[in-house]
Amino acid sequence: MNLMCCETESQRRAYEDPVLLKDYRVLQNLLQTEDRYMPSPTYFSCVQTDIKPYMRKMVAQWMLEVCEEQQCEEEVFPLAMNYMDRFLTVVDIPRTRLQLLGAVCMFLASKLKETNPLTSEKLVIYTDRSITLEELTEMELFVLSKLKWDLSAVTPHDFLEQILSRICPDQERCNVIKKHSQTFIALCSTDCKFINYPPSMIAAGSVGAAAHGLLKTDNTKLLQSLHQILNIDVDCLKSCQDQIEQTLSSNLSHMAQLSESAPPKVEIHANHRVQHEGQPTTPTDVQDIVF
Amino acid sequence: MQKYEKLEKIGEGTYGTVFKAKNRETHEVVALKRVRLDDDDEGVPSSALREICLLKELKHKNIVRLHDVLHSEKKLTLVFEYCDQDLKKYFDSCNGEIDQDIVKSFMYQLLRGLAFCHSNNVLHRDLKPQNLLINKNGELKLADFGLARAFGIPVRFFSSEVVTLWYRPPDVLFGAKMYSTSIDMWSAGCIFAEMTNAGRPLFPGNDVEDQLKRIFKLLGTPTEESWLGISQLPEYKPFPMYHISTTWMQVVPKLNPKGRDLLQRLLICNPSGRMSAEEGMLHQYFSDLDPSIKLATDNSLILQGRS
Repeated sequence: MNLMCCETESQRRAYEDPVLLKDYRVLQNLLQTEDRYMPSPTYFSCVQTDIKPYMRKMVAQWMLEVCEEQQCEEEVFPLAMNYMDRFLTVVDIPRTRLQLLGAVCMFLASKLKETNPLTSEKLVIYTDRSITLEELTEMELFVLSKLKWDLSAVTPHDFLEQILSRICPDQERCNVIKKHSQTFIALCSTDCKFINYPPSMIAAGSVGAAAHGLLKTDNTKLLQSLHQILNIDVDCLKSCQDQIEQTLSSNLSHMAQLSESAPPKVEIHANHRVQHEGQPTTPTDVQDIVF
Repeated sequence: MQKYEKLEKIGEGTYGTVFKAKNRETHEVVALKRVRLDDDDEGVPSSALREICLLKELKHKNIVRLHDVLHSEKKLTLVFEYCDQDLKKYFDSCNGEIDQDIVKSFMYQLLRGLAFCHSNNVLHRDLKPQNLLINKNGELKLADFGLARAFGIPVRFFSSEVVTLWYRPPDVLFGAKMYSTSIDMWSAGCIFAEMTNAGRPLFPGNDVEDQLKRIFKLLGTPTEESWLGISQLPEYKPFPMYHISTTWMQVVPKLNPKGRDLLQRLLICNPSGRMSAEEGMLHQYFSDLDPSIKLATDNSLILQGRS
């Protein structure tokens, strides 16, 4: 008897499952689980002796670029950042090990979420060979033990489908809001301000900011329904949305400054963008959103 | 491996050897699953990684418990709760006779384990009798989550693994690019029928075509009317409209009418029509289930009654 199955290598994707989306317990479970995977927002002052917030931001932006260039699933980057923050909550490391840590976190997150995970070789190349394969696999076990093998962290993306399926009857509009929300979620993961925001709040804030930007209307009603879905205080939701909008505009003005002072860089950005058309999370895509 | 004394080899899992072992201090019997790391630059295999972190989340009486993960540079050892046998071995010991009350109990526990997985966003994706463990107390536990995924991610379906076709739904056999909780519900249906027939598989196909033929000969060939979009599936090919010659009565003679009703609600070709695990647990078939199983404190009585 031949039990071999010959299947094509094409990727198969789970569809949005009414069993999971309609069932309130799935959302309840996510809300209950997310707290267990929260890093401590005070690790820069309480644990780390060398690493500063701006270093986290630099390594986060590098990680985001790698994830985009490798066309990783949207969740991989926020998940890797969660591992990194939780690791930094318990272990003090020197700045020279931060990129290694970032690479390991992407390695783990992509193994968990990707059909074809990032290879160790690729990650080593992305660090410009500043780390070795041995260091990567050794650090992997160290990170796993420090995270107690708890890798099924909840990310804002887990909440995104849950929220959108409840507030958005129009599929087309829903997809646009989803894409913009995904960009905001990536933005939040790079910014230290959002370390102590639970994923549900980031997801809700991102949806709020996306809808606000697209529809340009007062979204009190939307915040109200987000409040009902997630049971998060309306004022908190509003303040999270405001924070996201502020972060976006400060990033945009930062980019504008960059393009004034360094014209060649814009060229690179432009190329980058052409290559990744249809990939909503490239930071350059943020520029597409007109407020 | 100081903490555990190896007793005997139990078998080969998806990615390593499994041993029965005893904790030297507590004398607790456990199952050890070994994962070698040395011959691989890719570090911890993703299947092991997924199984570990999914099982750490899924703490439930109908899901095998992962007690501990031990690691050295060269290998990982997963420490699982020990179960006496899997459902396949249980069938072998039945000699073609199985108590229908046990079937009911196992089926209920299977659905309860699945309902828990599904409400935690996890699909098992590889349900088969070998992956269902049975302990002395008549408790059934879902095991081998090496292929399970947290829900909503792209998957390359089993391409690198050898997996039996027998428990695969027609949508997946037709190359459906997307699938969901319904994949596990089809498998549960196949296993249900196999249990009530004391271990005779329902659709023992030899290849994809034979598998689909066997399914359609029992359930009728689905059409675009009964299953909107079927002809758009990537590997769809038309099958003849078979004359249905076997009745459910002949397929599962030992199963009572309520049980047949449940079975038919699981074995629906169109994935969107399949019953969910949660709905299955509420089915009439279980109305006379021993209440102790619903509470699941101790099911030992059932197995004792059998012997």
